[in-house]
Amino acid sequence: MTAVNDWLAVHWLDVLVPFSVLFASLVVLLWVRRRIAHWLDHWARRTRWPGDDILYHAARWPSLLWIALISIYLGLETSTLPGSWHMPATRSLWTVFMFSLAYSFVGVSSGLLRLYGDRLHIPAHVTRGVSVAVSVLVLFVAVLTAMDLWGAPIGPLLLAMGLMAIAVGVALRDILPGLLEALHINTTGYIKAGDYIKLETGEQGYVLDVGWTNTRVKALDESIVMVPNVKLARTTVVNYGRPLKKAIKPFRFSSRTHLKELTGLKAKDLYELADMLKKVPEAVVYYHTHHFLEEHHYLSPEPPNDFAVWVTDVLGDEVLGERLAAVDTFEFPTLGTLRERLGGIVEEHLAQPCEHRHATEGREFYFIKSVSFITPTPYVAYDLRELTEALRKLPVGSLYFHVFESRLRLGRSRNDFSAWIGDELGEQQLAEQMAHLDPYQYTLEELRSQLIRLIEKRIK
Amino acid sequence: MVQNVNSTYTGGGVAEILSRLVPLLGELGLEAKWSVVQGTEAFFTVTKKMHNALHGRQDGLTPGDYSLFMETSDRHLEELELRGDIFYIHDPQPIGLVRRKKELGGNWVWRCHVDVSNPDMAVWDFLRGFVDQYDAAVFSAPQFSRELPVRQFLIAPSIDPLSDKNRDLPQDFIDSVLRKYRVPQDKPLVTQISRFDYLKDPVGLIEAFRLVKRSIDCRLVLAGGTATDDPESDKVLAEVQERASGDPDIHILLVPPQSDLEINALQRASTVVVQKSLKEGFGLTVAEALWKAKPVVASAVGGIPLQVKHRWTGLLSHGVEGTAYDIKRILANPELAKSLGDNGREHVRQNFLITRHLREYLLLFLSLAYKEDVVYL
Repeated sequence: MTAVNDWLAVHWLDVLVPFSVLFASLVVLLWVRRRIAHWLDHWARRTRWPGDDILYHAARWPSLLWIALISIYLGLETSTLPGSWHMPATRSLWTVFMFSLAYSFVGVSSGLLRLYGDRLHIPAHVTRGVSVAVSVLVLFVAVLTAMDLWGAPIGPLLLAMGLMAIAVGVALRDILPGLLEALHINTTGYIKAGDYIKLETGEQGYVLDVGWTNTRVKALDESIVMVPNVKLARTTVVNYGRPLKKAIKPFRFSSRTHLKELTGLKAKDLYELADMLKKVPEAVVYYHTHHFLEEHHYLSPEPPNDFAVWVTDVLGDEVLGERLAAVDTFEFPTLGTLRERLGGIVEEHLAQPCEHRHATEGREFYFIKSVSFITPTPYVAYDLRELTEALRKLPVGSLYFHVFESRLRLGRSRNDFSAWIGDELGEQQLAEQMAHLDPYQYTLEELRSQLIRLIEKRIK
Repeated sequence: MVQNVNSTYTGGGVAEILSRLVPLLGELGLEAKWSVVQGTEAFFTVTKKMHNALHGRQDGLTPGDYSLFMETSDRHLEELELRGDIFYIHDPQPIGLVRRKKELGGNWVWRCHVDVSNPDMAVWDFLRGFVDQYDAAVFSAPQFSRELPVRQFLIAPSIDPLSDKNRDLPQDFIDSVLRKYRVPQDKPLVTQISRFDYLKDPVGLIEAFRLVKRSIDCRLVLAGGTATDDPESDKVLAEVQERASGDPDIHILLVPPQSDLEINALQRASTVVVQKSLKEGFGLTVAEALWKAKPVVASAVGGIPLQVKHRWTGLLSHGVEGTAYDIKRILANPELAKSLGDNGREHVRQNFLITRHLREYLLLFLSLAYKEDVVYL
């Protein structure tokens, strides 16, 4: 005891300095750690990426060990220990640091693998296997480094490890690119489950999930398209984002075609025209106010009705012809009211004193009836986006049916698109806009563009 | 099964349409059959008289003619094998087959390709006895309809854009056809493609052409063939040749049957296509010319106004002077000619191609089962 006291009396400074450095470093580094931990915790809470939590927790406890190691190392460096003690002590510190670092890395990699394994729907046993492989690899590297530190030979081990890496690479050559692309897609967050995407090559639909080699996309016809992740990463993809409100009752598109039925009835002058207009079925009024639109929809955006054309061209009565042509079909909710208006104009004209001409033989007005055949189409829409996509592809007969025929001939107050958007999707503003769009002002192709434009404006 | 019956396999619009539609109906899964009634020359002379009478000409059918018609019709009843769910009978020649309706059942449709807007009433009344027994009648133009106890439908004929008569042709081939028929290309060509038939008014067109020639130098091509059920065409051809004799700018071309490519080439080589008919069932040659984006001048008769919307898809005329005036307007105004031609082609594309015709055939068959104005399928 006396010998120790004597030694301390002589070398008290050799002891005091390293221990002071050690404790001072401990205090300072613990304070710094606390500040950093506080800042990291705050940052991790603000971001939505769960990976930062994994990083934070993996470094939280090992960091105490690293502070201790740094403090001891600084103490050692300021001590007067002989070289034969100093060198093993330093190597021991580095070895402990190496293994603690490996422990943290294993924690991070396992956490991230679990996270992305779940997202990519990788089976749990595969995630576990990869996690164990990564842990073994990290441990292996740590052991190699430690051996190198203590001067042991590591050449043969490195060679074995290289061969193993090549073998693993060959085994995973098909899966790896897809997996990497999947990781890339998930990391960037450009494409997520639920997004509506459209590929340059034409495939489109809702993303069901991003798998580790393929992404599953549900097309509008309910079919599932498996898009390889490699392709997804190398082609142009338009992402329309999250789906809009889905209707419980979908819009089922119908199409319409028609046959002309001859009535055998004809009018040779205005008296007969006015008389027949009262008697003929509404299907006749419908035909003569709409057939020009159907047969010449590529020519004129505002088609005249047959009565106006006949009165002008055959009877040569341009004044009455103009009045009949000016009847705005869009204003009338039913064919009955339209018929009354047309007949009323002719009767008003007849009441005025003027010459009334007859049509020459063969140029009389022949009353024709439109017989409609309504057929279902495969197109179905549950939301506005699906409605738009279907509108792009529909035959004009379908467009015609839902806009013209359903409103006037079938006695619905609005066109079918407006009714569905208002009633099923609750999009009242858009429904109103579509209801007020006068379809008689457009060719059918222009009308298609107008409807799509209105919906797209709402979606965007 | 749908059984079509008419009177000839070749020549004329009916045979042409059936030769295209029957295979297409088969492709759609319908069993479609096409039969032809046979007859002597005397029978076809009578039916030609009937045809003319339905077009309004007073050809004076004698009681003997009616007897011959009925005797031949009786023989058809015995000889022709009829089987099917729908019997689609074309024109007057086989109209009497409907007398087997009770025995065979099924739905019977009479398809009238003739302009019956102003018929000889004696002949029409004779045919009415048969027409009224059908379940439905089909006409090519609204003015052919009259109050009948059966449902009547308007179905316009059609052209097949892929057929030899309508498909695109290389200019070399068009030139070779003109060389073959010795038609120089030094002047604008005014063309009428039609059977040699009084009702196509080739003589009236020659008169109109001579009026045009007073102010615009051009050539007239009258090209056509004959049909086995039309014994009158040789006589008409002879008369037309006589009227045209001595005028090197008028080319009368007798084109043999199965010369669809040559007809196509002549239409494509034309500057203006004319159809100066006095009566017309539908006038498929008009649709053919419109499909080739040619400006058309045509008489406002039969089904032609369905195809030529005046000043939109062509010009409609009502006489020799009007036809001449319209031809001159087009020859003097290439921009008008192009606009009419372009609109005409689109009009045919939308309304007179065989696909539309096929669809209306199917709708007609459905109409036999549904009586409503709006049918949900």
